[in-house]
Amino acid sequence: MTNNRPSGFANPWFQLGLNIICVVLYELLLKAGAKATADPSKSWSWIGIIGLASPLIWLAIVVMLLDLVIWLYVLKYIPLSIAFPLSRLVDVLVPISCWLILKEGISSLRWCGIALVIIGLAIVAKPAARLEERL
Amino acid sequence: MTWWSLVLILVWVGTFVAGQLFFKRAMESSGVAGFQNRQTISLLSAGILLMTISFFLNLGLLQRFDLSYLYPFQGLSVIIITLMAAVILKEKLTLRLAIGTLLITAGVVLVSMS
Repeated sequence: MTNNRPSGFANPWFQLGLNIICVVLYELLLKAGAKATADPSKSWSWIGIIGLASPLIWLAIVVMLLDLVIWLYVLKYIPLSIAFPLSRLVDVLVPISCWLILKEGISSLRWCGIALVIIGLAIVAKPAARLEERL
Repeated sequence: MTWWSLVLILVWVGTFVAGQLFFKRAMESSGVAGFQNRQTISLLSAGILLMTISFFLNLGLLQRFDLSYLYPFQGLSVIIITLMAAVILKEKLTLRLAIGTLLITAGVVLVSMS
């Protein structure tokens, strides 16, 4: 891609970071909203539409729309095969924020999983850094 | 888990992956013309439609299952998207990227198993 990389706030790598924060936020909001409205007794509840009764779901939708704009911007500059694996940093941030903020316990097996994700991210980030040099 | 819920999980992951591919294609085609490009708009609309289906399926599944149960399936999307980006979008798939992606997925599965 021959686009000149914008700097500062418009930097695509910075926007990727913003994207990750948005995803963590809306995942937590979605779970809270889905839990508050769950009614498995209705057969059509599979499509999840009753979740719209919760204001948390609407807040999550607003964050998701914001995130969509950010993500499209990121995709304009960074290959999908690099941006998407890196965006899975959320798989580390969600359990760790539950541990720090909600004081939930993390088993040793879970820490191993988190470590694996971090190693994988570091490995993917290396070609990303090379890509950055080319830009 | 019934066969029905497995079908729903597969459709959920499938629409999510397809949506991402449409998004990337849309942004590639946007170029200088930005969102005035017809092709960009149609690709983007297809992506948004797929993502909307995926979103409501996700919500329905979350009402039935624990997030930790559904997470490994979401983890699988990392592998599928990286593969599809290489096959369909012709992005370069290095050995390094493949190993990193596999480790991330393995980590996600471990996290949700524990």
